[in-house]
Amino acid sequence: MRNYLKLDATMRCDVLIIGAGGAALRCAAEILEQKPNANVVALTKVSHPQKSHTSTAQGGLAAVDPKDPLDSTLFHMFDTWKGSDCTADQNVVKKICESAWEQILWLENRGMHFSRDPQGRLSKRTFGGHTRNFGEASVHRAVFEADRTGKGIMDTGWGETLKRGITFINQCLAVELLIKNGACSGCIVFRQKEGTFVKILAKATIFASGGSGQVFQVTTNCRQNTGDGLALVLQSGLPVMDPEAVQFHPTGIVGPGILASETLRSVGGILRNAAFEPFMVNYAPKMKELAPRDLVARAIESEIREGRGVMNPDHNIPHVWIDLRHLPAEVHEKQIPEVSSFFKRYVNLDPKTDLCPVRPSNHYHMGGIPTNEYGEVEDASQNIIEGLYAIGECAAASFHGFNRLGTNSILELITMGKLVADRVVAAIEKGPSHNPESDGKRFIERFSGYLQAGKKDSLGLIRSSLRRIMTENVSVFRTEKGIEEAIQILSELKVRAENTALAGRSLAMNQELVQRWELDNLLAVSMVICQAALDRKESRGAHFRDDYPDRKDEYNHHTLISMIDFGITESGRREVDMSIFKAGGEQHEKFAIIERKY
Amino acid sequence: MMESFYDITLNVHRYDPDTDKRWIDTYQVKAGRIMRFVDVLRKVNDEQDATLAWGSSCEHGQCGSCSMKINGKPLLSCELLVENAVHYFDTTTFTIEPLDVAPVIRDLVIDTDKAYGRVDKVKPYIIKPKPLGEKGEEHQISPEELERYVDATRCINCFCCASACISSHHNFLGPNAMLAAIVRVMDPREQEKQSRFDTLYSENGIYRCHSSQACSFVCPKEIDVAHFIALAKNGEIKPA
Repeated sequence: MRNYLKLDATMRCDVLIIGAGGAALRCAAEILEQKPNANVVALTKVSHPQKSHTSTAQGGLAAVDPKDPLDSTLFHMFDTWKGSDCTADQNVVKKICESAWEQILWLENRGMHFSRDPQGRLSKRTFGGHTRNFGEASVHRAVFEADRTGKGIMDTGWGETLKRGITFINQCLAVELLIKNGACSGCIVFRQKEGTFVKILAKATIFASGGSGQVFQVTTNCRQNTGDGLALVLQSGLPVMDPEAVQFHPTGIVGPGILASETLRSVGGILRNAAFEPFMVNYAPKMKELAPRDLVARAIESEIREGRGVMNPDHNIPHVWIDLRHLPAEVHEKQIPEVSSFFKRYVNLDPKTDLCPVRPSNHYHMGGIPTNEYGEVEDASQNIIEGLYAIGECAAASFHGFNRLGTNSILELITMGKLVADRVVAAIEKGPSHNPESDGKRFIERFSGYLQAGKKDSLGLIRSSLRRIMTENVSVFRTEKGIEEAIQILSELKVRAENTALAGRSLAMNQELVQRWELDNLLAVSMVICQAALDRKESRGAHFRDDYPDRKDEYNHHTLISMIDFGITESGRREVDMSIFKAGGEQHEKFAIIERKY
Repeated sequence: MMESFYDITLNVHRYDPDTDKRWIDTYQVKAGRIMRFVDVLRKVNDEQDATLAWGSSCEHGQCGSCSMKINGKPLLSCELLVENAVHYFDTTTFTIEPLDVAPVIRDLVIDTDKAYGRVDKVKPYIIKPKPLGEKGEEHQISPEELERYVDATRCINCFCCASACISSHHNFLGPNAMLAAIVRVMDPREQEKQSRFDTLYSENGIYRCHSSQACSFVCPKEIDVAHFIALAKNGEIKPA
């Protein structure tokens, strides 16, 4: 074992947050507002909290304004439940929807630059799935900051935490969770800049480590979203919930993977295959391009699978075309200027005269670390791990079930951030002592393995193979045969990764070492996505099985899956909370197991 | 017929903190026309040299992590397509350097904490918020009033402006830090204005600006940074 792998220091704090995105900062700000002397430390893998993935969220935040005579919180709850394909937990849905507007005012009063209506009040717009009277008509429910709502949240959260004396440790990795006797006492942290390992002990540890989009070849997610939190939890013997629930957007722009929004199709954009044929008519003869997201995504993927896609040589990815050339100049200039500028910037094409390349793009992970309605992390038997919490995209409470509604994700960040802060403040006030310390030795074995491997290979190429097989076999379409093949390939890639020698063995700012660790996380998360997708022999929300195309009542539950060893998993289930339905109040029947049809 | 591939040469400035050595490495890359510089650097990592360190995150121009100097111009490498770079710089040879706004940690990675320290100094938040309305409703800010400063709120702290600025970051807090301060002077929800003026008009504030307008020229978000600094110099940034 290399002698330079050792713990360099031990730090103590009240609250340790793994992550510094929207959920983390909202939570930290609340803790510091309520308890100004609390010692709160937030870790982030990126160079500064402002670089977090939350910053890229565009659209808006769903929240029912109590002044709105047409909308109601109950409608928002219904839309979320229906959108989730009846797999969201109703206790969580109720809590988040009911606290939404209060959180908007929190942001407003701390300086977020919301777009304004002519009266100077918060401007609102509508999104797919936002309805009044249980699907009757659309409502304007989303407040927003132009096309940079996530950035507004991040700037506000960062400013508030800075003001109140948070400690950020930027560019670091949480490499081992310290768990003993069902309690968490903190984690081991690798500081990239210095190349040192530090033990951080905390009264409360909160996961807010973001998504896992890098599992797929084309994703809207940032480069850092490698499912680290999920992998860390799996390594600690804890389960993840609903990992098979992964959302794809039908039209990502080839290259950066970012969204070419729904608007392109609603203004008359036509999807064409390699032979320039408009193909949507073969899949949705009436709705064509205006069919729901998942149907459009599967249609595009079908064209590609059947050899009617176009291969982009630069990004080595097949795609179809979106044709906007026939639209009047006025539409290009007034209705779709932003998206047009994306095509210009990233693929150097002018949608007025050129066909533009699009394909389904990974967007959001509904699954995550299982928590209760207070964000407390649960083990496979649904016992709470004392001192451990999870919020944001890495967590599954579950607000989104098997399909997330647009504008509900950043709402979840700020509401759950606040709710968990309340819980954490109460917890750290109650107990002065730290949870029992565990040793924290596994990281040495892991990192020594990385540094000692000796075979010439390329981590980047292994990662590309992983992303390709997950995209081809376990994304929009899933079949038993395809998933089994992916599991086989993942096992082979795991062996290759373990043997791959690093080109540089320094610890300080060794990007390759970090990517080696991330690759392990991608492999672990991919494996549980595959296993859970294989076990769920039905289609529900974003999880579509070609061989089992219908939703089945026998699967009306969450998946819990743990990994004993790579590829060896143990599955369990968690009941879906249906407390709104069971309470039997007015309109409770809307919260039964209903059809997800629009 | 446009080229589908370019044979490009990258001269990359390297730095190794373990030995404190600096040197330049040259990489020949066959790059597709719409590959971005982040894709090119990844290709170098995957196929030629895994030790080359550089930073990125969102890779679509929203986070400002991948800023670097290419042929002397500070820019976001996720937004620069190979084809456009060849035309813009009229060459297939590119010199790539880290931004000169903070010490280099390794290769193209700089100590962002140090650069951000200058933004932290201007307090990029509301110091003393105006209370919400009587019934707890939101503030009233007309679209016209917001329009006066909304462009300044689009800054992502990529530090390209600070790198291009002809004033040194050793005595100027920087164009992006000035923007952050100006936003809160113009924001009607902020009640604490005096200390903000003190910072703006301090030793390290806007009078360090020589009006070269380099900040506006390089800003990847196309914010007219110089315009806001000029407003501050002229005392025209008070709320309406």
